[in-house]
Amino acid sequence: MTDMKTLVTIDRRVTLKWLMGALAVGQLAACGDGAKGLSWAELEAIKATGVGKDPDLINPSVPWPLTLTAAELEIATDLVDLILPAEGDNPAPSKVGVPAFINEWVSAPYPDQHKDRVLIVNGLAWLDEESKVRNGVPFIRAEASAQKLILDDIAFKDKVKAGLEKPAEFFGRARSLTLGAYYTTREGWADIGYIGNQPGTGDYPGPTPEAAAHIKGIIEAMGLKYTPA
Amino acid sequence: MTPDDPHDAVVVGSGAGGAMAAWMLAKAGASVLMLEAGRNYSPDESPMLNMAMDAPLRGVGTPDKEFGFYDATVDGGWNMPGEPYTMAEGSEFMWWRSRMLGGRTNHWARNSFRMGEYDFKPKTRDGLGEDWPVTYEDMAPWYDRTEKLVGVYGSNDGLENHPNSGPGVLQPPPKFRVWETFLKAGGDALNIPVVAARRAILTKKIDERSPCYWASACGRGCSIGAAFQTTTSFIPWAQATGKLTIATGAMVYEVLLDANGKATGVRYIDKATGAHKEAKGRVVVLAASTGETARILLNSQVAGRSEGLANSSGQVGRNLMDTVGSSVSAYFPQLEGRPRYNEDGAMGLHAYIPFWDYKRIQSGEVDTPRGYHVEIGGSFGDPGMGVGGGLDGYGSSLRADVKRRYGSRIGFTQRGEMIPNANSFCSIDTNTKDRFGIPVLKFNFAWSDHELKQVTHFQKSMKELIDKLGGTLVSEPLDPSKAISKGGEIIHEVGTARMGADARSSVTNQFGKTWDVDNLYITDGSVFASKAHKNPTITIMALAMRSSDNIVTRLRTGEL
Repeated sequence: MTDMKTLVTIDRRVTLKWLMGALAVGQLAACGDGAKGLSWAELEAIKATGVGKDPDLINPSVPWPLTLTAAELEIATDLVDLILPAEGDNPAPSKVGVPAFINEWVSAPYPDQHKDRVLIVNGLAWLDEESKVRNGVPFIRAEASAQKLILDDIAFKDKVKAGLEKPAEFFGRARSLTLGAYYTTREGWADIGYIGNQPGTGDYPGPTPEAAAHIKGIIEAMGLKYTPA
Repeated sequence: MTPDDPHDAVVVGSGAGGAMAAWMLAKAGASVLMLEAGRNYSPDESPMLNMAMDAPLRGVGTPDKEFGFYDATVDGGWNMPGEPYTMAEGSEFMWWRSRMLGGRTNHWARNSFRMGEYDFKPKTRDGLGEDWPVTYEDMAPWYDRTEKLVGVYGSNDGLENHPNSGPGVLQPPPKFRVWETFLKAGGDALNIPVVAARRAILTKKIDERSPCYWASACGRGCSIGAAFQTTTSFIPWAQATGKLTIATGAMVYEVLLDANGKATGVRYIDKATGAHKEAKGRVVVLAASTGETARILLNSQVAGRSEGLANSSGQVGRNLMDTVGSSVSAYFPQLEGRPRYNEDGAMGLHAYIPFWDYKRIQSGEVDTPRGYHVEIGGSFGDPGMGVGGGLDGYGSSLRADVKRRYGSRIGFTQRGEMIPNANSFCSIDTNTKDRFGIPVLKFNFAWSDHELKQVTHFQKSMKELIDKLGGTLVSEPLDPSKAISKGGEIIHEVGTARMGADARSSVTNQFGKTWDVDNLYITDGSVFASKAHKNPTITIMALAMRSSDNIVTRLRTGEL
């Protein structure tokens, strides 16, 4: 079996090698260990051009090439929609461009995004491998219920399955990126209730009567004095 | 006139101090040449209503745009390619530079708190640091004129060491938002004041500038002129007199002297061509920023002397101070799920906590000599990439948690006074040059026990306030030595050419005139004799106005 610790990954060619190793580890599934023993490959930093110190602020553009593969984007799409499923009028993240944003994020030539790239690219591969081990099919071919069983082991900070700390770290970042990307869209604003970025005239109106009455009730229930200014 | 023509005044820098001086002098009829190291800039470039989602990476900070994609700062930041600075072993200092017309005024928070009577005479009060050569009473009329001109909202609360403005000076402050009223209720119960903030933002129209329209982060630059910056005020006003010439891309590195030791102008590099040029004037005004002004003085050659220019006191580069910074943050279950409305408001402080514990300092019950104020942030703001912070799980419960928690977190940020100390200064690093061949600055910096104890006072006081309101700290406060900001990080560095009562202990007199060179003035933050907890810009402008008035008088009488 490949010694994963010595597998210093340099680029996507080596990721293939990593997957082969992962498959080998997958054999352990028979013992119920899943793919948890994998070490996560380093990836070479992206050397694309960044936005620079003086970009056009009114008409922004993303200058770096996107790097996720079609297969990775498919896994990411399922994942983000599991993280925040559509509900009522609120669309699923995949309907408002969140997978594409994650691609933009992990492809950026900056140190913070590089760290996330290592987590996300390896994490997406882990999800796929884990699903193959558990369900016999890649992540995107698994039933939603089976996908959720995998997430249940990595998504709750006090209930991370032993040995799955790294996948849990990946999931935490994926959740954070998904929420950030989603709630910065108009649809996300509508869901969370952000109603700003609206120029007005005259004095700032302050709280609505409903909001004022609500906080007055809270303050007075705490035995404190309500004195709006 | 062109930059090659001799002017009455050469002003180095276009930020708060430089632009105020340029406008005051031009208004009085003097011909002024303003030299700015960065490029030309106008807030017409500001992405006023762009959404985060239109920016790369939702606008988060990157090594290219450290305060976020939409921050007005262009060609500047913590790190500038080819323009390094160095630090002494064991010292850490962060130096923010804004190389653009208008300097840092294009992106500042606009917080504008006057210094008070204690702040100008700190040594008299507690024996530490240095007194200013002016009193609050000397400065009060200049604050009034500056605030009226700039447009500052706020209220007169008559609090100890937080002076009222003159009648009719302040603009009305915007109403408190729900969470600010909530904090005020807790503060009132603990005798911690929560009062209207003072910010250089118009709530009523002045001249051609519009009042705030209650949207658009001020740090992006304000194309409607509501949030004060020199590129929508002093600079266009000075240009309108016909007396101002501006040269951008002009990197000044030396003050020129004649045989009698009078300043004749400055030498600069024209960045477009690389040519070394001279600009000539009857009076030279340095307002290049606390770091750059000290660098220019220390890099200027004076025949027969080794310490640089205007430095017979040895104080140039010394007394480097920054604001003490630290923060805590808490969730308030009582604010969860509250009714939504537009809380953008003036996109910053409507309320703040001015320092309140002076009496217990005086009595010795408090073991830190100087105060701080607290800047508070909550609101149903534009949800950014941090919106998922602290959340757990996935699925519909996660969606519900995001909505429940939105607007229930409040951040408390300490902004405190630092006392000058012998370990904090800048000097020239003779081994390192920037891409122009100019020797760079080397920083030494250390906090003292005074500042660390102040962090403890802040942490304890905020914990009391948070407890009173049933909140939960997001994380336990760190040890003060870890919680305190790095030197320079708050971008309030001042003090490297302090004003004082005599030539022995200070670099300039009370009008920013250097003791050693009769026609060399300084109007930026480097002249500060102390660093009160109050954000320095409004004081830089008030001092610059007063100093410029002195220059105008001396130009008129022919003294200069």
